[in-house]
Amino acid sequence: MFPWHNLQITAGFVLLTAWFALVNGFQPLAVVLAAAAVHELGHYLVLTACGAQISGLRLSALGAVLETDSVRLSYGKELAAVLAGPGANLLCALSLTAAGGGRWSVLAGANFILCAFNLLPVRPLDGGRALYLAASWLAGPAAGEIIARWTGAAFALGLTALLAYVMWRSGGSLWLLPAAAASCGAALSGITGRTP
Amino acid sequence: MTSRQAGRRMRKFTAHSARSSSRPGSGPSNAARPRRKNEPLRPSELRRLVQLVACGTIFVLLVAVKLLLPAKMAGFNEQLSAALRKNMDIQAVFSAVGRAFDGHASGAMEDVYQAVFHPNQEEDAAVKTSEPVKMQEHPALDVLRTYRKPAEPSGMEDAASEPPEAEPDGSAETEDAVPPSDASTLAYVQYSEENLPDTVSMEQAILGFAYDTPLTGVLTSGFGYREHPIEGEERFHYGVDLAADSGTEIDCFADGSVTAVGESNSYGRYCIVSHESGYSTLYAHCSRVTVSSGAQVTRGQKIAEVGSTGMSTGPHLHFELHKDGLYLNPIYYVSVA
Repeated sequence: MFPWHNLQITAGFVLLTAWFALVNGFQPLAVVLAAAAVHELGHYLVLTACGAQISGLRLSALGAVLETDSVRLSYGKELAAVLAGPGANLLCALSLTAAGGGRWSVLAGANFILCAFNLLPVRPLDGGRALYLAASWLAGPAAGEIIARWTGAAFALGLTALLAYVMWRSGGSLWLLPAAAASCGAALSGITGRTP
Repeated sequence: MTSRQAGRRMRKFTAHSARSSSRPGSGPSNAARPRRKNEPLRPSELRRLVQLVACGTIFVLLVAVKLLLPAKMAGFNEQLSAALRKNMDIQAVFSAVGRAFDGHASGAMEDVYQAVFHPNQEEDAAVKTSEPVKMQEHPALDVLRTYRKPAEPSGMEDAASEPPEAEPDGSAETEDAVPPSDASTLAYVQYSEENLPDTVSMEQAILGFAYDTPLTGVLTSGFGYREHPIEGEERFHYGVDLAADSGTEIDCFADGSVTAVGESNSYGRYCIVSHESGYSTLYAHCSRVTVSSGAQVTRGQKIAEVGSTGMSTGPHLHFELHKDGLYLNPIYYVSVA
């Protein structure tokens, strides 16, 4: 069963949520949280199906992280678990579109955006981890580390520039600031070589 | 008073720690904590200390800036709160992406762009049009300006400075005939073709589909130049204002689909409905919008309720009619009480 006693909610998560609700209202917040829940549910289901024990859930300003016990999964299983989150979002977006036509386009769009964002090959995100796992599987852990590190750094730099440009052009959208800061940090850690 | 006290305490603290950090080798622990002389500072404690000093320094600096340069701080405050208020319409972004996903890819990118970069269309349009209008002033305006009350706040500074005696001769009789209304004289003359903003058409279009008035209300502000009720300057008003009680049902103008539901500083709660052949309508200042983005709506269907959200001085519906990016005068298509 899910270990609810190991649910960690950091102050950063509460602050970011409150800020988002203040700026955008409660309805967009509910939409985003629902999409995030679908995402984590995807991870959770595949992880338990692979036999891993979930030891806790940590909600921080950078997103939700499921913690597993120290049992090592094979590359293939871990890759499946990592890709399950974006996959669940994509599936949800597709089924919402198929079932409702244009009625739930906001929810479908939120799911699709979350899926696309998480597939960016930047390391704390699912795409970066999937890239590392796939490259390690094919070419060994050392090569996987190098590939994931430099691809992540390049993408994180581009993402930082894009977010800064959007904020500059729209003259606001300050809630993108944490995302910009986080991607800037990811780019720096990729360049300096310290694994995030 | 309390902040000054805190500042002094912080300064004392920084002086304290500056002394301790100036002698890193010999005895920082002695200076910081005289009671435990032999114990060195642990790394975690040192980190805490550095954090405290950094926070204290920022606090003292900010207080100093606020006390010494109040004008600069006020300006910075203004900029910051403006940046905080300006936001992309995230729900519209989701909706546009969701619709693109559904196969309605045409126009989705423009919707995303609109939602990200121009959430406050009214404000942008007003800023864009105000300058060319001022440059193309007709000479006859000089005469008419003198009718305006000198105390009236307006964008035209020279109007107030010009005394009424400076009028040309021979116009005394016509002057008396003109009623001393507040702003209407200026607005009236500026309706020559070259003074209209590029995005406006004054012609009555034949819509080619069935339509219905969104509600029957009292016309409180028409389409055209007017003195902005809150900002005070002369601006083009891109729609009609129909005053009605809060909560009055707003019906959809014609069949179509809801392309945007949002909230902005100027429009308040608003929604946009797209109709056939490039027409769309906007309903603003609603107390609530009862349809969601992407929904199919029919003529006469209730889509919102009258309110006074956004830049508004009382409950009314601000109704706009667009055709391919052009603003049309909606007065021909609504019924006025």
